[in-house]
Amino acid sequence: MLVSEVMTRQVVAIGPDTPIRDVQALMEQRNVRHFPILEGRAEPDKPDGLVGIVSDRDVRLVGADHPRAPKGVKATDPVSLLMVRDVITAHPDDPIEETAKTMRLKKIGAMPVMEDGRLVGIVTATDLLDALVRMSGVHQAASRLEVEVANRPGALAELLNLIADRRINVVSVMTTRGDDETISFVLRVATADARGLARHLKEAGINVTWPPDKRG
Amino acid sequence: MSAGEARFVFDPELAGFQLAPEHPFKPVRYEMARTLLLAAGALDEAEVVPPRPITDDDLLTVHDPRYVALVKAASSPSARPSDAELQRHGLATADNPVFPRMHHLVKGVVAATVTAVDLVATGAARRAANLAGGLHHAMRDRASGFCVYNDLAVAIRRAVDRHGLRVAYVDVDAHHGDGVQWLFYDEPRVLTVSLHESGRYLFPGTGFTYETGNGRARGSSVNVPLEPFTGDDSFLECFEAVVPRALRRFAPDLIVVQAGADMHHRDPLADLSLTLRGMRRAYERLVELADEVTGGRLVLTGGGGYDAYRTVPRAWALAWAALAGRELPDEVPASWREEWGRRLGVDLPATFADDEPEPTPRAPAIASRNRSVAERLLKQLEEIWSEAPAA
Repeated sequence: MLVSEVMTRQVVAIGPDTPIRDVQALMEQRNVRHFPILEGRAEPDKPDGLVGIVSDRDVRLVGADHPRAPKGVKATDPVSLLMVRDVITAHPDDPIEETAKTMRLKKIGAMPVMEDGRLVGIVTATDLLDALVRMSGVHQAASRLEVEVANRPGALAELLNLIADRRINVVSVMTTRGDDETISFVLRVATADARGLARHLKEAGINVTWPPDKRG
Repeated sequence: MSAGEARFVFDPELAGFQLAPEHPFKPVRYEMARTLLLAAGALDEAEVVPPRPITDDDLLTVHDPRYVALVKAASSPSARPSDAELQRHGLATADNPVFPRMHHLVKGVVAATVTAVDLVATGAARRAANLAGGLHHAMRDRASGFCVYNDLAVAIRRAVDRHGLRVAYVDVDAHHGDGVQWLFYDEPRVLTVSLHESGRYLFPGTGFTYETGNGRARGSSVNVPLEPFTGDDSFLECFEAVVPRALRRFAPDLIVVQAGADMHHRDPLADLSLTLRGMRRAYERLVELADEVTGGRLVLTGGGGYDAYRTVPRAWALAWAALAGRELPDEVPASWREEWGRRLGVDLPATFADDEPEPTPRAPAIASRNRSVAERLLKQLEEIWSEAPAA
């Protein structure tokens, strides 16, 4: 999955001279936590001048009577005083796992998405969580099946063929753990009788770790 | 309750088919429950009524016309659609194989539930049951989880549109009642309540507490996801914490119960681990709540239940006895046991009392988690409900 599939395209961008209190109000109104900051007006055929980004954490306490409120900054000051200038951006064609890694490494919650010098979107941690939910296939009626297969070519294909032989659709496949010997997969399978499927797979020699056998 | 107030809708054709050999969904359960009740003296022939036929148009109040046309085409021996086309709609799969006369038979199931609702809505009966019904997973244009047409949704739609009733749907099947929930997710005149084994563990993988309904119907979808090995006491505790409050607040004219019997500890597909004692208590409470909030108007269907021979007939006999105000003997009639035992080649239980599941040392932790889920759910619902006062 690529950033272009999960990003928000309607970006609310602001200028560096915007007073901090206006930014606070905008965050509240638009229910947005990150604003890219562009210098000058957007013009066709000219790159957007992305000069910074500001998050709710940067501006929230400005003007408040709070020990962690930024010193010497007033709500009437321009946002350029607080903005982060070294902006980490994403490209629409970046794989989302790369974006997720960057966000964790840099401890940030959002990345402006730039293409050919233009701001085309923003991708947030929430967008990535939504993508995780979609990838896990929970939007379709299905059962959870967990298996451990040998870490070799064709092992997963054999499993999927066994499932297909039963005329059961696989709604999603995710891997949770792997080493040199084995890989674990979580599949969502469109059957109400996951135990019946598990029995069939075990008979064929597959190590099924969920669902467990019926107790008693 | 005097005779004549409860009706048992029955069509022998709906018990006499299979989806496929070895398929876990066994319609014969329905005939077993009827004959058990007759043998036990808890059902009179005078209480048994045949369903009134419905038309294909009646199905279209809920289902997509192209889907109904596909099911019909698949049911005829000639001109069967391709597997690829069928599988796009959940058919020709392990759960929903194409079987002979599929359209006719499943439409018959819908007709029986519609008949039960009509009897109660018009006052011809105070309560009615269709144990062949309860196909709660069927979607607008998709078969799912052994269900092709959604009899519950067609009947509820009719109760709302034709009879002008507010309907509360209560689903105690071990699986989330997803089809009914999604078909009424925007409908403020229908409350759906489902208690089930959590979608984290069990098909269909939905039914979380945050699924509360859309727009004007916000607060009219209620889900109580429970832990595996919940057992009688924790199930009833969560039922009491949520269901009476939701029903009293919604004030329905009719309650429709999906009484799937797969929450039993012997069920091979699910692990809620109840006994017949707990299930009987849940049925009795639903009847009492109907007396309190709808003047008694209640329709009950079957549903899941995959310990089909030993458990389901006894569970549904208990459900009917609660609904019709009848007493069952302690012993399962010997004539019934011998007859069905011979036909099916199984040893059937001798009493309505139940063997208890093996106790789990985790019971207190499971009960505590369930309690916390129910408490947080109710808090969340009370907030939604206080924003939008009941109509």
